[in-house]
Amino acid sequence: MKLKSSYIVVAVLSVIAIAFPAFLGAYPLNVARSIMTYMALAISWDMLLRSGQISFGIAGLFGLGSYASALAVLRGGMDPMLSIVFAAAFAGVMAYALGFAILRLRSMYFSITTLALMEIFRIVMHNLHDFSGGPEGVVLPSVIFKGASPALYWLCLAGLFLTIGVSWFFEKSKMHLALTAIRNDETSARSSGVNIFNYLLIAFVITSVLQGMMGAIQVQSYGFTTPDTAFDANFTLLPLAMALLGGIHSTIGPMAGAVLLGVASEWLKLKIPYGHLVVYGIIIILVILFMPQGLFGLARKARRERSKAGASHE
Amino acid sequence: MSKLVTTGLTKAFSGLVAVNDVSFTMEEGEILGIIGPNGAGKTTFIHLVSGILMPSSGRVEFKGKDITYMPAHERSRLGIARTYQLIHPLENLKVIENVMIGAVFSRGKSLKEARRSAEAICAELGLERLERDTAQLSILEIKKMEIARALANEPEVLFLDEVMAGLNSDETLQLIATVKRIALERKMAVGVVEHVMGVIRELTQRVIVLEAGELIAEGPYETVSKNPRVIEAYLGGAA
Repeated sequence: MKLKSSYIVVAVLSVIAIAFPAFLGAYPLNVARSIMTYMALAISWDMLLRSGQISFGIAGLFGLGSYASALAVLRGGMDPMLSIVFAAAFAGVMAYALGFAILRLRSMYFSITTLALMEIFRIVMHNLHDFSGGPEGVVLPSVIFKGASPALYWLCLAGLFLTIGVSWFFEKSKMHLALTAIRNDETSARSSGVNIFNYLLIAFVITSVLQGMMGAIQVQSYGFTTPDTAFDANFTLLPLAMALLGGIHSTIGPMAGAVLLGVASEWLKLKIPYGHLVVYGIIIILVILFMPQGLFGLARKARRERSKAGASHE
Repeated sequence: MSKLVTTGLTKAFSGLVAVNDVSFTMEEGEILGIIGPNGAGKTTFIHLVSGILMPSSGRVEFKGKDITYMPAHERSRLGIARTYQLIHPLENLKVIENVMIGAVFSRGKSLKEARRSAEAICAELGLERLERDTAQLSILEIKKMEIARALANEPEVLFLDEVMAGLNSDETLQLIATVKRIALERKMAVGVVEHVMGVIRELTQRVIVLEAGELIAEGPYETVSKNPRVIEAYLGGAA
C-alpha cells in the first residue's frame, strides 16, 4: 500500500515535470535546465559516494562529454543526438581505462587524483589548438532542435530521468549491498565474496557515462563551449553542495538539495550577483558542521529515534 | 581428501616472522582448535588461509586445489568463510542485509533467495528482529550476526576467530552448542581460535598450538594440554 502511493507520487511529479513547457516561458525553462543538469550531476556523484569514494572529478567527466560531443559533430560530422550517445560512451571508456589506475587509491588520494584529472583534461583541451580550438573553445554550426526551449528542456529532462532511474536501480539491486559493504568495511566485503575492484569500476564507469552524457546535452543545447566553461569547477562544487544539503547516500537527497540550492541561487543571483557563491560556501560549512547527513539524513535519524522509543515501550 | 592443507606456510612482516613454516590439515566434519599465547600468529594464520593476507612462502590447498595466492573474495566463493576477532559489522546495512551479503556475492543468489536463506540461518542461531540497524544489537547478537554472515557463504571450511570473547558463560555455552550442531549438520570443517580453554575442550576434537609463529604441538586437547612445551609457552620458561 505504501509502495503504491509512492509510485503514484512519482508518476504525478514526472507528468508535471514533462508538462512544464506548457505553462513556462523560455527563461524559467532555461533555469530548470540548469537545475536539472546540476541535479543529475549531484545524483551521479552520490552514486559513487555510496562506495565511500569521494570524487572531485565530476567537472572533468562533464567537460570531457561536452568536448567529445562537440568535436564529434564539428570534426566528424556526427548527428547531434548520436553525438550525445557517443560522448557518454567515450566518458565511460575513459573512466574504464583510468579506473584501473585510480580505483586502487582510497580516501583523499582518490579525491585529489580525480581533481588532478579534471585539470589535465582542461589543460589538454586548452592546448590542442588545431583540434579543440584551444582557449577560444568550439562553436557548433547550430544548436540542437534549432534551439527550441521545450525540446531542449525535454532533452535535459530525459538525461535526468535516466540518471534517476540508474540511481534507483543502484538502491534496489545488489549494487546497494556491494557499495555499502565496501564503504563500511572492505575486509568484511571481501570475506563475503564481494569483488571490490569490479564493483568500484562498474560504479565509476556508470557515473562517468551519466556525467559525460549531461556534458554533451549541455554543449548541444548551448552550441558552444570553452575549456573554462566545460571544466568549470562549479560543475564539481555545486553538485557536491546540493548532495550534502539534501542528504547523501540516497537518490532523493541530492534531488531535494538541487531544487533548494538551484532555486535559491537563481533568486540570489538577481539580488546579489556573485553573492550566491558566498551563500553556497556558508551552506556547505553549516551543513557539514550541524547536519553531516543532510536534510534527509536528519529525517531518517528522527524516524529511527521514534521507532527506538516505540520499541522500548513495548 | 583433506579439505584444507597448508605446507610450510610462512608470513614475514619485514623481519618479524608472524607465521613460520606451518603445515597442517583439516578434515571434513572436524572441529579444530587453534590455540597459543597472545601474538603467536593465530589470526595471521587465518588471514593467510582466507586470503586477507598473502603468504611470504608456502602453499595453501583447498580440496587439492592450489589457492595460495587466490584473492579473498574468490576463496569465499570456493567455500572458505571466517569471522573476525575484531567485529566488523556493516553499520549502514540492516541485520538481514549483513547476513544476506555472503549469499548474494559468494553463492550468486538473487536478493529474494538470499533473504530467505539468511532468515533461515538467523533463525537457526536464534537471531531475531532482522530489520534492525546493527547499532541496536547486543554484543551477543553482533557475534551471532557475524557467524550468520559467514554461514551465508555456505562454507565447507569455517574459521571462528575468538567469537566467544566478551560473552558471559551462559552465552558461551549456548553458542558452543549451536556451533557444534551446525558444524555437524553441514559436515563443515571448523577452525576455532579461543583463549577460553573450556571452550576448546568442549568444542574441538583436535588442537594445534602455535607459539611465535611456529606449530609446536598437535593432538587432542587432553594430550596437548599436558605437553611440557605447551605449558612452557603459556606459563613462561621460568621452571
